[in-house]
Amino acid sequence: MSKQVSSKKRTLLFVAFGWVLLILGDRVGDLELYQGSFVATYALAITSIILLTGYSGQLSLGQSALMAVGAYAGALTIFNAGLHPVIGLFMAALVAGVFGLILGLIAARLSGPYLAGTTLALAISLPTLANQFPILGAEEGIVFDVGLPPARFGEDFSQYKWFFWISALASLIMVWFIANLLSTKYGRTFRALRDNPIAAELSGINVGRLKVTAFAISSGVAGLSGGLLVMLISGVSPSAFPLSLSFALLGGAVVTGLYNLKGVILGGLVLVAIPEIADSLVSRIGGSEGFITTLPGFLVSALLILAVVFTPNGPGHLIKRHHKK
Amino acid sequence: MIRNKSMKRASLVSAVIATGAMVLSTMPAQAATPGVTASEIKLGISSPLTGSAGLSYGKVPGAMKAYFNYINANGGVYGRKITLISRDDKYLPTLAATQTTNLVLKDNVFALVGALGTATHSKAYKAAALAKNNVPDLFINTGFSGFTDKTKYPTTFMVLPTYAMEAKVIAKAIKDNFPGQATFLVAQDDEFGSDGVAGFKTAGHTFSAAPILYPQGSMTAARAEAALTALGATPGKPVIVLFGTTDVTATILKAAEKLALTTKFTWYAGSVGADANTLLALGVKPTTIDGVITASFMPDAKDMTDPYVKQFADINAKYNKGITFDNYVLAAMNSAMLTVQALRAAGKNLTREGVISAIENKGAKFASAGLVPLGYSPTSRIGYNGYWVAQLNAKGEAKPYGGKLVIYSTDSGAGAVAVSTFVRPTMPKNGIPTNS
Amino acid sequence: MTEFITAVLTSLSSGAIYALMALAIVLVWRSTRVINFAQAGQAVLTTYIGYTVIQRTGSYWLALVVAVISGAIIGAVIDRFFMRPIFKRVKSGPIVMIAPVVATLGLLGIIQAIIGFIWGLTNQSIEAPVSTGGYKVMGKVIAFSSYNLLVLVAVAIAMLLLTILFQRTNIGLALRASAYSPEIARLSGIKVDAVRTLGWAIAGASGGLAGMLYIPGYFLYPNAMDLLLVFGFVAAVIGGLESLFGAVAGAMILGFAINFSTTYISQKLFFPTAFIVLVLVLLIKPSGLFAAKKSRGA
Repeated sequence: MSKQVSSKKRTLLFVAFGWVLLILGDRVGDLELYQGSFVATYALAITSIILLTGYSGQLSLGQSALMAVGAYAGALTIFNAGLHPVIGLFMAALVAGVFGLILGLIAARLSGPYLAGTTLALAISLPTLANQFPILGAEEGIVFDVGLPPARFGEDFSQYKWFFWISALASLIMVWFIANLLSTKYGRTFRALRDNPIAAELSGINVGRLKVTAFAISSGVAGLSGGLLVMLISGVSPSAFPLSLSFALLGGAVVTGLYNLKGVILGGLVLVAIPEIADSLVSRIGGSEGFITTLPGFLVSALLILAVVFTPNGPGHLIKRHHKK
Repeated sequence: MIRNKSMKRASLVSAVIATGAMVLSTMPAQAATPGVTASEIKLGISSPLTGSAGLSYGKVPGAMKAYFNYINANGGVYGRKITLISRDDKYLPTLAATQTTNLVLKDNVFALVGALGTATHSKAYKAAALAKNNVPDLFINTGFSGFTDKTKYPTTFMVLPTYAMEAKVIAKAIKDNFPGQATFLVAQDDEFGSDGVAGFKTAGHTFSAAPILYPQGSMTAARAEAALTALGATPGKPVIVLFGTTDVTATILKAAEKLALTTKFTWYAGSVGADANTLLALGVKPTTIDGVITASFMPDAKDMTDPYVKQFADINAKYNKGITFDNYVLAAMNSAMLTVQALRAAGKNLTREGVISAIENKGAKFASAGLVPLGYSPTSRIGYNGYWVAQLNAKGEAKPYGGKLVIYSTDSGAGAVAVSTFVRPTMPKNGIPTNS
Repeated sequence: MTEFITAVLTSLSSGAIYALMALAIVLVWRSTRVINFAQAGQAVLTTYIGYTVIQRTGSYWLALVVAVISGAIIGAVIDRFFMRPIFKRVKSGPIVMIAPVVATLGLLGIIQAIIGFIWGLTNQSIEAPVSTGGYKVMGKVIAFSSYNLLVLVAVAIAMLLLTILFQRTNIGLALRASAYSPEIARLSGIKVDAVRTLGWAIAGASGGLAGMLYIPGYFLYPNAMDLLLVFGFVAAVIGGLESLFGAVAGAMILGFAINFSTTYISQKLFFPTAFIVLVLVLLIKPSGLFAAKKSRGA
């Protein structure tokens, strides 16, 4: 469907959406702004997964590692090199992208579970490496400080609003960029690759090169989201990117549709909202200590399973089927 | 009956004034302070409830709630009931940041208590803008000395002695009791391990080999066996200091059992990893635990002759059914008792600034189970600032090393380790503080 | 010299442990083409069941049998009522590979929550059935005990039995055929669905064995086998995912690599070694060391 939307229309759509967010940002409280920032960040991370897995067909269990690479690159740029936060975010994407390029060269030869295993091993190893080099700050990590909002925005402009503006803007721009990319010939080639690699190869597409490109771009996007994430927690540390983050992002991507970008915001919302809802539901029900502790995890997992069983191709398909009736 | 109109008006006015005065005197103006109403004080805690860290620390919020419920049943704090809102952060900095922000912005808590972990809390503190919102951050569950920095953490009060302090006390104990023996350190490769390493350095203690630093989760049985086999070649009876969590202490001790090296070494288990109950539950033999030296600042949870321990154990039995009383529960209830005293000391007109200055000015005199002094003052955010050296026996009880209780007091820096003459304040009757 | 011997012995023990999990993973893969992340949860669950048996009867061996049987039952139930509906809905595209992964991850979460609710979140331990004290060789105690020997023997027997099952029996043939080419298998009269459930049952039983052999050397809590799952998976991939022998070989290679690198270079290499070994192996042979043919590209 995105093929039918012209790029001009798309740009307008994004700008309009951006304005909506801007206005919304003025109406809601700090807590919603903070949660919104996480939604934007996770939406961006899910975008990287959709690009890599949904479009180029490579299953990675290690997006958290790529986010970590971006996060550390960004933190080092701001803290150690003393450069402007925007450069920090840019470096986050760039360094992660280069890392992804190298990784992609290895990954391109691997398929299915082999790639999954490799990315899994990467995800558990990378945090340890951060402990190896003192410049990376060990467990306490490095501060990632985007600074206070500019004075000209006034007293009432809270730090959370500033976070929201930065993360929403960065995500919007990046998702717009990727959406454009996928609507071009590139997008069609990716889909050809995903649906039938052999046929793609036969029709002259350089499958290997395409896979590596996808990996690099996806890693850049993931790196940027990593930088945004540590901006929200004011610092990077190894424990901020556990394996469970990779799994959660993958789950979010599947739940909201792996095959096109339309669902990414929903995916981000799900990742933020579902644990919250589970928590408040449990505190309202009450019960024994053991019940209260284990129920939220149970609910989140159950929802994930239901989503996979009933809408494995994303809720979009469900709506389409409904309309056909 | 008042017939006269003006008299009627006058009596009406005076009635209003009288009522107003009564109302105002019992209900201080609280509109501005979040988390406090005439009947309730809301406190918040972000800590690991699930996941591997939840194993050791999952009991903390429940234990604190139990103590608060006991106080609520006995009049609360000046008539206000304490509600503790507990959120699970699974020991992840991203979750700690969001959960702490939730506690402040959504749950509108008056203060935070017992926040857990260094990487987690340092991120959470900034993310939830605790400094800007002046949210009191009381009695945090971590020994990382960086939290005593008032410029970075203006509303934070530690309670645990720092890991650096513990290292210095252990260093002195080794020097006094095991001179001439080789010494080795096995520490977790993160902030608490490195805090300890720094402490040993400050104390002037050099180990016989470079410390074995293991990334969290990597100390498997195989690694422990390899390490001990290598160390087992050292002549004499070396001292091995373990600065890790209880599961790692258990793994290493079990490896020693396998290699028949339990008596080859003198074992020193850092306080974070020395809970005897847990060690036994994890399969370490009682004979192995017998003789392990550790440092503590609290009485042992098995010592029912201690009035604080007995009182907390009783509260646990009534208000925390189903949970075994152990050192974690003891420490949590102790922090809850400190919290109640802090709230009381701030007065009936409860404000955030008030509670902070109350701890600064009166905190050092609070009653608590701790056997070492509290270091709160207008310039210091340090809680307990000392340790006593203990030895475990086969029953898992911690008794004073050498038979006599000696309390050491020190700082996280270059200050000396001195014997302290501190005498613990008597426990308030029935464990219910009446301070002001 | 002692350092070297210890490294070899501990590598054998670690390798055997990884092999237990790798076998279960390869079993599910070979019979259903799914990577089952819930394996860690299933194995822990059956071990808790075994723990309860020990509490009641005091017998480890009885608990072992119960754990294996319940592992089989749980595995079968999961396939029949959980994986089958998913496969019915998901037919093509990368989602075929991913949906089961995400679904089994969700299942892992549910199992761990259930365990936490029933048995509480505290540590427990299971005592080993045989001595865990190291053998005495030439007057010195080595880092190898009867218990380590038991695990090694159990892994070897399991591998042999399972290989015989897969290569020499009709059921084994049916299992392989159903996984390799379900449509053709169905055409030749094989009840593909039932056979697949059997595959999950066998894998579940193997996981039950893994748990009861692993936990006594460690401790029991809901996340106890998470790390083992990761290393087991890596080991299986190194070995090629296609052969049970490959799973064991891959596990041994991984065990040796990790123990030697951490002993001789740095303790900090514990996790990175897994990644490095995996990448090296896959660079040389993208479908793993012992895969007989080029990867079909799942």
